[in-house]
Amino acid sequence: MLSLHEFKAILRVVEWDLMKLKRQKAFIAMRTAWFIIQTLVFGYAISKITRPDIGVDYYKFYLLGLYTALLYSASIARAYIIADEFDDGIIDYHLSLPLKRSVLAAGRVIGGAVSTIIFTVPMMVFILYLVGGLEPISLLTSIASALAFSTGVVSFVVIIVMKLKSTDTTDILFGTIDAMLVRLSSVFYPLPIIKALDLPAYYYLALLNPLTHFADFLRALVLPEYFLLQLTPAQSILYILGLGIGLLVVAIELFERKLEAGGVK
Amino acid sequence: MSSELRSIAIVAYRDIARFWRYKYWLAGQVAMNLADILIFGLIFNGVVNKDLIPDYVRFVTPGILCLSIFISSFSIGREVGVELRREVTQYLLTLPVRRESLIIGRLLGGAARGLIYQFGFLVFASIILAPPSPEGWAYVLATSFTLALTMSSVSISLSTVTRDFNMQATIRSLTYYLLFFVSNIFYPQRVIAARLGPLAPIVDYSPLTMATNIYRWAFKYDVLLNPLSNLIGLLVWGLIIVVVAYKLYLRNLLRD
Repeated sequence: MLSLHEFKAILRVVEWDLMKLKRQKAFIAMRTAWFIIQTLVFGYAISKITRPDIGVDYYKFYLLGLYTALLYSASIARAYIIADEFDDGIIDYHLSLPLKRSVLAAGRVIGGAVSTIIFTVPMMVFILYLVGGLEPISLLTSIASALAFSTGVVSFVVIIVMKLKSTDTTDILFGTIDAMLVRLSSVFYPLPIIKALDLPAYYYLALLNPLTHFADFLRALVLPEYFLLQLTPAQSILYILGLGIGLLVVAIELFERKLEAGGVK
Repeated sequence: MSSELRSIAIVAYRDIARFWRYKYWLAGQVAMNLADILIFGLIFNGVVNKDLIPDYVRFVTPGILCLSIFISSFSIGREVGVELRREVTQYLLTLPVRRESLIIGRLLGGAARGLIYQFGFLVFASIILAPPSPEGWAYVLATSFTLALTMSSVSISLSTVTRDFNMQATIRSLTYYLLFFVSNIFYPQRVIAARLGPLAPIVDYSPLTMATNIYRWAFKYDVLLNPLSNLIGLLVWGLIIVVVAYKLYLRNLLRD
């Protein structure tokens, strides 16, 4: 059980991560520009060429998928930050602090997830407004589910980067993972359409992909007409939650038992 | 003069040789580009309105040729970024090579990577669409070379702007979205005109729109396009970008 002292220590680590957000103005501006291009240029144009009878307004479908991809990419970007910290010796400095490893790991993961949410919430509000789903309950549920999703992704990132210890390999690996997971999901096209392709491996990979479930959960939440689901919204969110907690536990375990200065021993 | 050319060739060769060091990355990228054609194209075929685009795979294939150039030419920018962070740049500056030769060699090395990587996709495009005529091949080669040189120049100059790793990756992504989504690769001209209204001409003047138009003409997807005007536009873009990139790289090489 977490003591009050440990809880305060986690909050301090989280605060450290959030303070860094202030220094990332250029990064935030660029990601916002990227979001605007995808929303108002690509999404707007591509939805014009889609069939009107696919069962959902493709622009709304796309926007919620786009938020998923954005949240995922912003969470994955923690990999670059942590790899840089490895290069600069900041991780070694963290390990020398009078903090329990588990506290440090939980703080870094939660800090990463919270700063990702703070950064993406304005975009989420904009998207919910565009799809007509901007209500207090749907907004709060979306934020809570986004936090669970981002916690899972940041934990995954922490696990991998601690093992790689290299900015070079991190760049190549996460560039590939980022692109692959978005393609192998229902982020930009409904799962039943993937199923209809008759490529079972692709369909089952998409079905296992957490991006599919987060995107479909958001769609079920704010698009009442959306029915192209393969799992119920409750099943999808349980999957996201389970993955988030599971990966967080693995990240903490790795920090506690395996991490030494310079990376995982 | 011949020693300058030799220096340029050595620098370019070094970058081409280093390309093969990233075998797994290359394999992953090839798989990804093929997936873009096969999966993205096939799935969108089921989603796209056939009245607007009868076959989306054929429509998007010329754009994938541009994408393959972008990915491979941009790999040199990633390496230049790593060199800056690790201060390998200092080593490069001590080599008995003029700085101008070093920069030209690097730009050409990046362009050569783009051309090597794109070769398989050109064959693929010939199968999916139709093989170009001899005149068409001349246009394809000129387009690919200009585009590869332009992209490697953009990537090198952008990578030298900052030493921050996360920032470099973000700049790369933003450049991708700007270049690819503000072009006619994924949607036809009339959709752009309908959606973007008075802003549609911006897409017409994008270097990737021009390159895609030439590929669509050469691979006989749309024989009514004018390849010459598009090639002239692309060359103008290429010239401006290469000159700016050259000066930026030179300035940033010497920056402490």
